[in-house]
Amino acid sequence: MKYIILIFFNLLYGFAFGQETLPNIELKTLTNSTTSTQKIFSENELIIISLWATWCVPCKNELDAVSELYQDWVDETGVVYYAVSIDDSRTSNRIKPMINGKGWEFEILLDQNSDLKRAFGISTVPYTTIIKNGKVVYKHTGYTPGYEDELYYQLLKFSN
Amino acid sequence: MSFNLKKIIKYYSCVFLIFFNYFTYAQNAKLSKELIQFTNKLNVNFESISQWYLNDPYVDEQNINSIGEEKLRTTHYLRLDYTFDDNFSAGLQLESYTPENLLNMSKIYDKDLGIATYYLQYQKKNLNLTFGHFYEQFGSGLILRSWEDRFLGINTAIRGIRIKSNINDNISITGLYGKQRKGFDVSSGEIFGLNSEIDISNIFNTLPNGSFTAGFSYVGKNEDYERILNETDMKIPELVNAFSSRINLTHKNFYTNIEYVTKSKDLRLNVVSAVNGPSFSESKSFKGNALLWTFGYSQKGFGLSYNFRRLENMRWFSERSFSYATTNPTNQLSINYLPALTKQHDYSLANIYIYQTLPGLTVENYQDPLIKAGEIGQSIDLFYNFKKGSLVGGKYGTKVNLNMSYWAKLETEYNDPDPADYVTSDNLTYNSEFFNFKNKLYSDLNLEIRKKWNRKFSSIFTYINLFYDKSYLETPIYNEVRAWIGVIDNTYKLNGGKSFRLELQHLSTNDDARNWIGGTAEFFFNSKFGLYINDSYNYEESNVPADTKVHFYNTGFSYAKGSSRFSINYGRQRGGLLCVGGICRQVSPNTGLTLNFTTSF
Repeated sequence: MKYIILIFFNLLYGFAFGQETLPNIELKTLTNSTTSTQKIFSENELIIISLWATWCVPCKNELDAVSELYQDWVDETGVVYYAVSIDDSRTSNRIKPMINGKGWEFEILLDQNSDLKRAFGISTVPYTTIIKNGKVVYKHTGYTPGYEDELYYQLLKFSN
Repeated sequence: MSFNLKKIIKYYSCVFLIFFNYFTYAQNAKLSKELIQFTNKLNVNFESISQWYLNDPYVDEQNINSIGEEKLRTTHYLRLDYTFDDNFSAGLQLESYTPENLLNMSKIYDKDLGIATYYLQYQKKNLNLTFGHFYEQFGSGLILRSWEDRFLGINTAIRGIRIKSNINDNISITGLYGKQRKGFDVSSGEIFGLNSEIDISNIFNTLPNGSFTAGFSYVGKNEDYERILNETDMKIPELVNAFSSRINLTHKNFYTNIEYVTKSKDLRLNVVSAVNGPSFSESKSFKGNALLWTFGYSQKGFGLSYNFRRLENMRWFSERSFSYATTNPTNQLSINYLPALTKQHDYSLANIYIYQTLPGLTVENYQDPLIKAGEIGQSIDLFYNFKKGSLVGGKYGTKVNLNMSYWAKLETEYNDPDPADYVTSDNLTYNSEFFNFKNKLYSDLNLEIRKKWNRKFSSIFTYINLFYDKSYLETPIYNEVRAWIGVIDNTYKLNGGKSFRLELQHLSTNDDARNWIGGTAEFFFNSKFGLYINDSYNYEESNVPADTKVHFYNTGFSYAKGSSRFSINYGRQRGGLLCVGGICRQVSPNTGLTLNFTTSF
């Protein structure tokens, strides 16, 4: 039975390349008000959404690296970078001092009960996606030093 | 074993096929419009974890047959979500645990294949209706949180009905009713919940540079209880009620939250018998409460946050029998979420002595009974960024983080009218002091300095100094531990996306298993493919033979593309208390191979 499901799934995989739309997910802002993916997709043409957590070292490395290049990216492509934290109440109080302490200038949103993480269908962070006109056009799991160059290259591809 | 081997070969040939398809179809699939429309609305997530426990003389020496008969185990998750239109969506999750759940994970999930969760959702402007399983959190989770973490092997989804409504821009209300997931079944206890969030500053149009919000919640659990002893006529509380009030204020660079929770009287977990499982004191019942206060201040280059939390008798489950931590170490069927508020570490030696939150009420019978009623403590976090070009900052700036925490058990006095030798009676009562920090269980100081030397080379220095009361936090056969840990983590970027990371660690203590040395080397060929090896080695004679002069090593590789990831690890896991992601559990040592595959599209 399990293998039948796997084979079915396997066929599906072949056809189904490219999840494009996301269900509408509610997210919290740093001032405890509520926004949603629908809202931020409708307000911005080109977005990077990056899921991260205060306890995840590669995530912080990624945000540190992008933060140095971010202003150039905005000038060249008009992108808006949303760093969505999946910290729960264990560590969520560290988010605000950390982003300010580090001097990051991204848009920060909170996914406290992992609703967006579930919608993306991922199990590890960091996870980075480019969203254009509300559609997911690029995604990447993990961070390795130097990956920001590839992200920039992808961003240029979708900016026109 | 040969049967199992066949199964796994079959299984991985399927996984291989999936990968094969991925690369062949992906680039130039010519599909009909209808099919594309269908697949665009379908989100699929698949994850598989396999572990093969291998023979290891060290593991055999530690405990006989701790692993059990099944040396090869696999767990799969398949989640499908389909969005019909702007209003309707539905989904389900299949799970499979063959032939049983992974080592040290909960047995309630043992099933070959089953539908684990399913839902149907209706969404319209200010209304959101869910039938089936849902995940929900009220406030910070002190009163209610149903969640999933596959890595920890926990899923506390509630099956029932949930209504969310935004009455206007400033007030939103959630109501729910259901039973909590219990493996592939649901709990016997029922949960009722009501939550409201109110944006006060918006209503009164104040605080242009901030916000002032409030939240109120009610959660009730109803569960039958059958008396065993029937010695008193005390009314057994079948409905346990909890209330939460909280406010949240931000103004310019400053923010603060306060939350207070009370929980009505419930039975106290009492004698735990190996044969009959846990039993409860039927003569006296006890209230619980929680207080959380956080504040913070931040500006560019500087951040500060402070947490205070006091928990008394706050462990809460949708079935009472799950409240015994030893038989339910992974907190299955937990209604609320009470994580330890200490810094979470990545480095292996920093994860040996980890504070475990103690929010419940238990009485341990020794000559003098030990009343564990809860915890009180605080933590503080400081971030500072030395600017580029300054003396300490250098060319690229220097980032510093200082974190300190202190946790104590609640000071209590008990009264037992009918004590017997080494046994307390059902009539025991206790009083706790509200504000007393003197019974220290754990404290730590963490200093982290991040320094970029040049375009290619950067380092992270970590220093940790800790105190850990192993006697109270684990079992009274142990002593207190005072230790310090130093870590140097270096990353060197090479051309073409290649990078190399080398991390060196040392743990110094004269207590417990004494000194450890450890290290990790990691090489990434590009942003997709990486290899690593790490080892922790205890190099001194001590009174803990299981941790004396033993290597705990791990090696493996990972490959990631898009949202797919495949990894293989081989290594030896230390036995004892293992804490990951805020949950601690006793694990048996094991050596083996782990295969992990996850994808979504």
